[in-house]
Amino acid sequence: MEYFKSGLKSVLGAPPPGTQITGAETVEKLVSRVSTSTLLEDRRDACRALKAMSKQYRLEVGAQGMDILRQVLELDRNDCEITGYCLDALCNITSKEVFEDENQSNMNMAVNVGEQFSEMFLKNQENVSLVLSFLDEYDFRVRWPAVKLLTSLTTCKLKEIQDIILVSPMGVSKLMDLLSDNREVIRNDALLLLINLTKSNANIQKIVAFENAFDKLLNIITEEGYTDGGIVVEDCLLLMLNLLKNNTSNINFFKEGSYIQKLAPMFILPDNLEEVGWSPQKISNFHCVLQLVRTLVSPNNPAQIITSCQKTLRDAGLLESLCNILMASGVPADILTETINTVAEVIRGNLTNQEFFANVLAPSNPPRPALVVLIMSMVNEKQPFALRCAVLYCFECFLYKNEIGQDLVVQTLLPSSTGNTTVTAGQLLCSGLFSNDSLSNWFSAVALSHCLIENPAQKEQLLRVLLATNLGAQPVTLLNQCGVFLQHTSKLQAKLGILMLLSMWMAHCPAAVKIFLNVPGAMAFLTAQTSASEFDNNEELLQGLCAFIMGLCVLFNDNTVQNYSKENLSQLIEKRVCIETYCKKLNEISRHEVYAKAAKQPQIKAKHSSELLLEFEFCKLFKVMEGLIIQALGVQRDLSNGISELSLSEHENALLLQYKELIRDQDKKLQDLQRKFNHLQKECNDLQTQVEELQQTNTQLVDQNTLLKVQLSTANTSHVTNIIHEVKSMSPESAEPYPVFIHGNNDLLLDRIKKLEADNERLEKVESELAEKTSELESYQRDQDDLLELLTAQDTKLNKFKERLRQLGALSRSDESSSDLSDNDNDRDSGPSLL
Amino acid sequence: MSYAYLFKYIIIGDTGVGKSCLLLQFTDKRFQPVHDLTIGVEFGARMITIDSKQIKLQIWDTAGQEAFRSITRSYYRGAAGALLVYDITRRETFNHLTTWLDDARQHSNSNMVIMLIGNKSDLESRREVKKEEGEAFAREHGLVFMETSAKTAANVEEAFINTAKEIYEKIQEGVFDINNEANGIKIGPQHSPTNPSLPGAGGSGGSQGSACC
Repeated sequence: MEYFKSGLKSVLGAPPPGTQITGAETVEKLVSRVSTSTLLEDRRDACRALKAMSKQYRLEVGAQGMDILRQVLELDRNDCEITGYCLDALCNITSKEVFEDENQSNMNMAVNVGEQFSEMFLKNQENVSLVLSFLDEYDFRVRWPAVKLLTSLTTCKLKEIQDIILVSPMGVSKLMDLLSDNREVIRNDALLLLINLTKSNANIQKIVAFENAFDKLLNIITEEGYTDGGIVVEDCLLLMLNLLKNNTSNINFFKEGSYIQKLAPMFILPDNLEEVGWSPQKISNFHCVLQLVRTLVSPNNPAQIITSCQKTLRDAGLLESLCNILMASGVPADILTETINTVAEVIRGNLTNQEFFANVLAPSNPPRPALVVLIMSMVNEKQPFALRCAVLYCFECFLYKNEIGQDLVVQTLLPSSTGNTTVTAGQLLCSGLFSNDSLSNWFSAVALSHCLIENPAQKEQLLRVLLATNLGAQPVTLLNQCGVFLQHTSKLQAKLGILMLLSMWMAHCPAAVKIFLNVPGAMAFLTAQTSASEFDNNEELLQGLCAFIMGLCVLFNDNTVQNYSKENLSQLIEKRVCIETYCKKLNEISRHEVYAKAAKQPQIKAKHSSELLLEFEFCKLFKVMEGLIIQALGVQRDLSNGISELSLSEHENALLLQYKELIRDQDKKLQDLQRKFNHLQKECNDLQTQVEELQQTNTQLVDQNTLLKVQLSTANTSHVTNIIHEVKSMSPESAEPYPVFIHGNNDLLLDRIKKLEADNERLEKVESELAEKTSELESYQRDQDDLLELLTAQDTKLNKFKERLRQLGALSRSDESSSDLSDNDNDRDSGPSLL
Repeated sequence: MSYAYLFKYIIIGDTGVGKSCLLLQFTDKRFQPVHDLTIGVEFGARMITIDSKQIKLQIWDTAGQEAFRSITRSYYRGAAGALLVYDITRRETFNHLTTWLDDARQHSNSNMVIMLIGNKSDLESRREVKKEEGEAFAREHGLVFMETSAKTAANVEEAFINTAKEIYEKIQEGVFDINNEANGIKIGPQHSPTNPSLPGAGGSGGSQGSACC
């Protein structure tokens, strides 16, 4: 501290003796020195001092000096030394960590000072561009603090700086270039910066990948000696993980760029590993590589990506290497666990990979399938919990969409396979199912249930499995034993496991339901659990599951068991449990947090064994079946709550019948009237067309008439005058030769007149006929009006009757429309037979 | 998977001109009439053969929307080829070409091969931009030009392959520095001594390889 103070003295000049200057005052002086000095050396010294004070007097330096430091960065950027001091000072100011020698007064503040200053610094986007531009400077004194400053900013305000860097031209490219820096400090710090920057930002992840990140990182990993390398390898792997997690585009790029093949050397364990042992760093590195593989084939990815990555992993020999690690000795437990999880996801739903896995043999004597060895660990109480969970997950993934695998496991349980003395997967599961360890019970039950998923044939096959319980006693079926065990065990976890197995078994399998219904006491147990009104500590799950199994018994009942037919069971639920209680119990499952957790992902994720209660595939089944069960029971419920004849007294019943009769009569009448109306309407239409036709002919005739009249008049006048004219013109000369001609002409005219008169007469007759027709039409229209009136009267009467019916409560709301009435009648008529 | 060269492409142009459909047609040989809006950038890859050499194309399909412009700019620098696409049934997409070209020229390396593409040539009845106009624009700015239809696959192969040919020629002429990966060109693993080919590597992209022409 003394040295520091003397340094300050040299910068500021000695203070007048006797006065104690505070840190704030010193900072103030330094800041003014930086802003007013004309000599670069002076400014540089002041900046160095500010940097030195920026930890202890962070608040003062930040509050007074941030602007001036930024200014120096712009104005003195050609001098690497002063730029370095400024960047260092800014880095300290914006750092999130609390420094050891920082002023106590600052410590009391609730807000993080570094975060506040980061926010202030980021308010101006230009500042980030400025810092980014210093990355171009090769000088170590500038480039390194610039990287550190950016890192410090990302730890405080990640989202903001991500957005700024995305829009800065070449922002990400500059950062990527740092990975090629031959000074390891810069390269390693750039790695940390990139790890921060790529967190949950798909756009930056893609640009980083585009800038050859995978090539660069894999080169570094190779140089550092793969998983034997130091923490840098871990950082490289972490960055790769960030780039790939939930980023389909980058996973595709990773696969297409043949980077999966480049991972292969990391999975080959050296021969002398047992002597050398696993260093903590090697364990961390290995853990990351396994995570990397899992990210590629995570069940959350699109199916197409998963399948192609699985194929590539197999072809590149990675699956084989992973299986070798499974069977190797001396592998630390957590690595082994994660390897099992990785193998699980590499084979999940991929038949070729599943077959490969089924054929892997453990190096034991005699060689056993790896699958059997793994299941041995699962039902072994002494194995670590996480490992046992991983084995179950691996087994589930082996069976996922794998009918051959399901068959393989069930086959080992069937009587035909006796004589074989080796331990089989099926035997291990069966003994685990009824062992004293409730976790083994749960694991085995879930494992067995996965043999049955979407596989009706195996459900039937498993029914044939017989168990020898006591020496000399009759062998019992597996299902029967499950039903008995369910009632005898006191452990919740075991019960839930068995119930989940049963539900998977009985869904869509009437034969299984039949056997279960015949298990003594089974139904009574379910009824008691479902109708229980109190529960403690996750017992609501047990009650819900019992309700669920009862529902499955109703749904998949083939009515072959006496006393437990579909109707019997629904009555049981209705009368003993009450439908509301039943639905509440059923809902209890999906509302439980355990359900939400289990339904999230296929992998079993639990920190403690007591958390294992429900399982992913069961949740899927429950989701589908819940609705169907409620629907199946709902039909019955409507009848019992509605207007069933049984629920009415005799008097009411008679009244109801009376009204039904009435409604039926009215309905008939209504239909009759409708028919009549239709008929009349048709007639009316016909008449209308007739009238139109008549009118048409009428106008035609009128036209003809006028034409004729005109013709007549012209013929009468012009003709005669013409003749007279002719006669006159002729007469002076010689009238003699023409009289005969005139006479003849006269005759012709007379004839024509007569004909016209007859025409006139005919016209008059047609006119009178027309009048007659019109009056007829009018009378028809009157008739029609009358009928319509009658119809409305009937309608109102009908409504009145309905009103009266409703008052009697016999009509439900949905029966408003009269046409529905008849339908309802039919429903009600068929009602009693259902009950 | 062994290849002689790897080329990085980008596809740019206004939103809705059919960039993603062109990529899908090229990589998967199918057409999807309803396509979601591209967010940021999507990746696709395919192997082609030029001069009896296997060439791997890595293609980044960018979002055309203005909001993503600053993000897509980050992809210009590392690309060896760019397909600049407009829609022949929408005049404004043609009018915006200069903006795209300026942007590309400003942010990319100077040797980047740009192919101008008038897409949707199947919609002749709704055409708003004449083929001659596209040709003239390409000539003026020194681009290669082609009209394509992602729907009928007409000229789609050619567009990608001709761009690759152009890049390949530039490599032969020595214009591209193939050792600088920032140019968007990489030499295949068997051509560089540092990367011995790995066992089983041949089967990795088998499905992709069989789809090649």
